[in-house]
Amino acid sequence: MLKKKTCVAMLLAGGQGSRLGVLTKNVAKPAVPFGGKYRIIDFPLSNCTNSGIDTVGVLTQYQPLELNSYIGSGAPWDLDLTNGGVFVLPPYQRIKGTDWYRGTANAIYQNIAFIEQFSPDYVLILSGDHIYKMDYNAMLDHHIRTGADATIAVREVPWEEASRFGIMNTDSEGTIVEFEEKPKNPKSNKASMGIYIFTWEKLRKYLIDDEADKKSSNDFGKNIIPSMLNDQQKMVAYDFEGYWKDVGTINSLWEANMDLLSTPLPIDLHDKKWRIYARNPGLPPHFIADGATVCDSLITEGAEVYGNVKHSILFSGVTVEEGAEVKDSVIMPGAVIKRGAVVRRAIIAENAVIMPGAIVGESEGDIAVVGPNMTVPAGASVKAGVQVDEEFSFEA
Amino acid sequence: MKNIMGVIYTGESDERLRDLSQTRAIAALPVAGRYRIIDFLVSSMVNSGAKNIGIIMQKNYHSLMDHLGSGKEWDIHGKNEGLHVLPPFLTRENVGVYTGTLDALRSNIPFLSRSKQEYVVLSGSDIIYNAKLDEFVHAHIASNADITMVYTKNPGMIRDEYGTYLKVDEDGKVTDIETQPTHPHYENTFMEVFIMKRELLCELADSGVAHGNHHLTRDILLKGVTENSMRIMGQEYTGPCWRIDSVQSYFQFNMDILDTPTRKSLFNNESPIYTKVRDEMPVTYGDKAKVMNSLISDGCVIEGTVENSILFRGVRVAPDAHIKNCVIMQDGQVHSGAYIENCILDKQAIIKRNSRLIGPSSYPIVIGKNVVI
Repeated sequence: MLKKKTCVAMLLAGGQGSRLGVLTKNVAKPAVPFGGKYRIIDFPLSNCTNSGIDTVGVLTQYQPLELNSYIGSGAPWDLDLTNGGVFVLPPYQRIKGTDWYRGTANAIYQNIAFIEQFSPDYVLILSGDHIYKMDYNAMLDHHIRTGADATIAVREVPWEEASRFGIMNTDSEGTIVEFEEKPKNPKSNKASMGIYIFTWEKLRKYLIDDEADKKSSNDFGKNIIPSMLNDQQKMVAYDFEGYWKDVGTINSLWEANMDLLSTPLPIDLHDKKWRIYARNPGLPPHFIADGATVCDSLITEGAEVYGNVKHSILFSGVTVEEGAEVKDSVIMPGAVIKRGAVVRRAIIAENAVIMPGAIVGESEGDIAVVGPNMTVPAGASVKAGVQVDEEFSFEA
Repeated sequence: MKNIMGVIYTGESDERLRDLSQTRAIAALPVAGRYRIIDFLVSSMVNSGAKNIGIIMQKNYHSLMDHLGSGKEWDIHGKNEGLHVLPPFLTRENVGVYTGTLDALRSNIPFLSRSKQEYVVLSGSDIIYNAKLDEFVHAHIASNADITMVYTKNPGMIRDEYGTYLKVDEDGKVTDIETQPTHPHYENTFMEVFIMKRELLCELADSGVAHGNHHLTRDILLKGVTENSMRIMGQEYTGPCWRIDSVQSYFQFNMDILDTPTRKSLFNNESPIYTKVRDEMPVTYGDKAKVMNSLISDGCVIEGTVENSILFRGVRVAPDAHIKNCVIMQDGQVHSGAYIENCILDKQAIIKRNSRLIGPSSYPIVIGKNVVI
């Protein structure tokens, strides 16, 4: 029997994130690099640690290799503990066959035994899709204070966009009276953030019932939440204000990166009381050479800049050679921009090489992407919105 | 290599480092933007396979202990072995302050005898290097030496009246040792790195102190060489190294690593240098930032001009501030309109608006910790 925990977090990190194209071809979305030195999963993991939630199950399924080794023992987030810590939970084999995670609710259902080890009172459900800082403990307090069976974090979105979200209609006390998935005529602009706290006993019952329902698609938003509402369980909205950005598409990932270049910073990553932790590659400070120009940018350890960088983000170990020009772009760890190459409005993935004189992206239009470990040959050009992977053929 | 352990001695003389060593041991001096000197020594040992490392503390060791923590960042936080912080303590025969290395080792014989590894690499802490120490241990075993002394031919390491210099014959045997000569006669500067069997080190420390000796090199090794009673071999280290024994040499080291080939020889992917992580945000450059030939660490916010300088973590350079040939330690601030040249700012120093501070390049100005100008 392990030590009892008040609240256990379960982080859903198994999705493919297919809208990120070549960036998630070989890695799960939560492992995608973000903001110069982070990966997306650093945000929910750091939020857990900073919120005092020290037991986190990370559910993995799609391309877990890089994510698993990134999480490791959990030490970067102070989650390498004797009592609790971070646990990677892949689907597993049973006497009666093997089962993949068939939906968000099913993934938790398959890990009921994991959760029960800690006899928690509450379970926090998170995803690895967003950039935000949030005190989950404040949300838990709200859940306890209101005596809710389920608490759903919501944020106000612009009314004209409300029909793209799962909308919570609440009464004056914040109790959810109705949930509408992508309503044509929204009655509220409170959108679900996909962050839930459940009283564990209640959730366990609904997970078991949901599993027995052969017609269910075993999803929190489509099945668990509606059926709890149907049964008039006490469901409460928890208002979140502050920066929250979905990074599920190439454009939104690029935008969220660019947000870190605006002043004032929309999300304060200097905050010593709410650090975002990351695994550290152990490289020396970055070097800006004589003759280089760097402005309006974010650059981290191990980068070497000999060329010109404007309004861009350079990750660890990136090299920008003499005469190369990088503008409005995100250059991920280990990528090399060779002499005289031009990169504009682009995401260059890990360890990609842009050979001399190549041109990637355009000053307008969609974001160009060069996949991990790819080489763009000398003199080649990659147009706006194009994604370069192994199957891509450069014009002769 | 599994069979080696490390011991680092941190009690070197530091008066020529002026204010820089007032609050800390030389080993704890912040260097190269995000490191302390000890990081290079511990990382060399760890990258060479040592998992059991003792650090003999002497003066002002608080910041050193704070930096090393549990040793996690260097992967030396094992169950039974790992990082061992060895502060001085009082016993009947030990008054707490060590006169020399031998006294320090004598006090720590219990740690040495408890360890399991056959070989010890013993290092001083005022020389920066990134060495494959395991190769020296292999050579030590192959040469049948009792003791191996690692030396360099780097002329930048030679000092008058300071350091130890070796005469080495063509077989690699040390035939003479001079310590603190007025002018060194030999081009081989001893790097304060010894290799020997752990049991021999215990024996030398025990019998040495029992016979009234204090210094390992001067009292024991020199005797071994002149009386030919020990086989003492020299091994040459050809990589980059710096002796940090004065403000000038401290400044010079930081400036030297602005040179890309030098920096890449010290920091290479094969033997990374580990350090305590602060989880700072990457550096933010404003739209008027101008930076050339500089090393900048995470957490800095640069809105002004920075030339030929090393900025540690969390430094703020305001718009219209100008920094030239400076070393600015953690959380320093240079406010708008200020101009500083040839300065070393210790941690959290602040240069207020429109101040001008220009030191001679041969004798940089040191601004102490927390000082506001």
